[in-house]
Amino acid sequence: MSGHTYSVSTKSLFVLILSMLLLLAGCGSDSSGGASNEGTAEAEPKAEEKTAREITHAMGTTTIEGTPKKIVTLYQGATDAAVELGVKPVGVVESWLEQPIYNYLKEDLEGVQIVGQETQPNLEEIAKLEPDLIIASKLRHEEIYEQLSQIAPTVAHETVFEFKGTVELMGEAMNQQEKAAELLSDWDSRVADFQEKIKEKMGGQWPLHVSVLNFREDHARIYVTGFAGSILTELGFEGPKSITDESLDVVKLTDKESITQMNADVFYMFMEDNEAVKKTHDEWTSHPLWKNLDAVKADQVYTVDEIIWNMGGGIRAANLMLDDIYDRFQLEK
Amino acid sequence: MANLLTVRAKSGRVSFQFYKKTWIVFLLLSVLSLIIFMLSLSSGSSFISPYAVIQQLLGYGSGEYNFVLNTLRLPRVLLAFMVGAALGVSGLILQGMIRNPLASPDIIGITSGASAGAILFMVYGMGAVSLVFLPAAAIGGAALSAVIIYGLSWKKGVTPIRLVLIGIGLSAVMKAFVMMMLVLSEAAVTTKAYLWLTGSLYGANWTDVYSMLPWVLVFIPITFLFTRTMNAAELGDDIALGLGVRVELQRLILLFVSVALAGSAVAFAGGIEFVGLIAPHVSRMMIERSFAGLVPISALTGGIMVMIADIVARTAFLPLDIPAGVFTAAVGAPFFIYLLYRNRNK
Repeated sequence: MSGHTYSVSTKSLFVLILSMLLLLAGCGSDSSGGASNEGTAEAEPKAEEKTAREITHAMGTTTIEGTPKKIVTLYQGATDAAVELGVKPVGVVESWLEQPIYNYLKEDLEGVQIVGQETQPNLEEIAKLEPDLIIASKLRHEEIYEQLSQIAPTVAHETVFEFKGTVELMGEAMNQQEKAAELLSDWDSRVADFQEKIKEKMGGQWPLHVSVLNFREDHARIYVTGFAGSILTELGFEGPKSITDESLDVVKLTDKESITQMNADVFYMFMEDNEAVKKTHDEWTSHPLWKNLDAVKADQVYTVDEIIWNMGGGIRAANLMLDDIYDRFQLEK
Repeated sequence: MANLLTVRAKSGRVSFQFYKKTWIVFLLLSVLSLIIFMLSLSSGSSFISPYAVIQQLLGYGSGEYNFVLNTLRLPRVLLAFMVGAALGVSGLILQGMIRNPLASPDIIGITSGASAGAILFMVYGMGAVSLVFLPAAAIGGAALSAVIIYGLSWKKGVTPIRLVLIGIGLSAVMKAFVMMMLVLSEAAVTTKAYLWLTGSLYGANWTDVYSMLPWVLVFIPITFLFTRTMNAAELGDDIALGLGVRVELQRLILLFVSVALAGSAVAFAGGIEFVGLIAPHVSRMMIERSFAGLVPISALTGGIMVMIADIVARTAFLPLDIPAGVFTAAVGAPFFIYLLYRNRNK
């Protein structure tokens, strides 16, 4: 019934499929050979290791030479820290809000190339800039670490909000150890200064319990640790009164009955500026249970800048946040 | 029927036929794939001339584009093609097996099973275990959901319609589970998970390519062996049974092949949707309904779709790199509605 019929044995069919497989496997190993050539080319600079520093970080150990001049920062806190260390990066990732760069950093980062989003930075853009150091975060960039390392030596911090760790890591990687140490000791003395002044002012009331609240479209959150939480703890504040489970970094509240979990002497809250969020905020704060909270009774509820308190994540943001707290307690800086 | 080309094993167990027109379409699509492949390699943050690309591919490149082409673009484009091909063939098998033009791996719960596996891994495994194992978790999820679907559909044999209904039900359960995990997880994990669910070829490397390659090379050729079964199965279970097809066994094996293809695609590129649905339909518009012909045509069509989606993803919003799944969904959703509209009177 058909025009041409080719009769073949079942065996020869298998042979055909097998040979196709082998052929393709052959092609495969060819290109892998190409890739390994690159590897050797990349290994060359490592030969001269005179001024090299070995830096151990979240993704392994990286050797960096001299003082990198062209750095690319792949998370907000690292961009902030680079500016504070006195180096203007050649490339940064887009900010979460106030795109492409947070207002508090805009002046210092004028004309800097944006290399995509923190979650998916554009590797080709980074390569085009020919950086000599990349600062990444394991939390965000684990899967592209190998590729980043082929562009330039890359050091990665474990997470994105530990501003002190970021400064330390970057100080080492950028050969700015002294500057980094200075930034950190300045911070420590500011913390000591705050603690002294707040104790004087508050007397027996200190330490105060504080809750960092965040309203979303469909729920509310208490930030227990994280950027703001860890700074408040360092300053000597106690956490929310009824949350004793210290393993929680963010408590998500979906039911207004659980408002009591928020209880503290002071509330700092931040939220996005849109209608849905505002609605949540209004609903929660008009709930009868809200009025029973200590901070509400004492009129200690403050709305703070979301970018400084939560999104910046760097040492400059930390200092600005501390300024804010000084002001709110009317202490002298 | 002089326009048919038949290949038959002497034992008579395996045979497949191609219409001659299929060859022409196949050649045209292959050329088109090659053109888009070259275009993919040329386009990106900076345009590289096709001539320079060819030089580099043949090994005469100046080394200037070594990194961008060999490390970034080539693995990404190859992976895009393979993922598309796998999804296309997986959808073709399901549509033929279930005899429902709306069947596809995303609709009967295979993709959402893989998503559930991946999310579970991201929430509980990440940090402790290397991300290298994420694809394994996704394939595991897909396989598990397939087993559940098949098991629940069993009632002295499995009928296609039961399989679809149970699949849709399980898909809903899995999606609810994924949603719950997203709400419960930390902000950073949620962000990562959303990207994964949309489907993206971002960060593809040679390891991904080599891990995906065997799935495509083994399971797509295997589908050819089922040509006779599939052609008969399209006529309905009773007729197929009458023609001597071991319907139940073949269906189980084909389901397995389909899950392997869709599961591996999802594992390496996340939840890219609609390709598995659309690629077989486009293929059927181009050639006659002969399963053997539809397999390579669906594979090529799927591959072309994902490659194009990824070109758009990489270049439309520079310097941002957008997940390719956004664009397959943008084209796929209207096409899906068109399908429903066209089938309304049938």
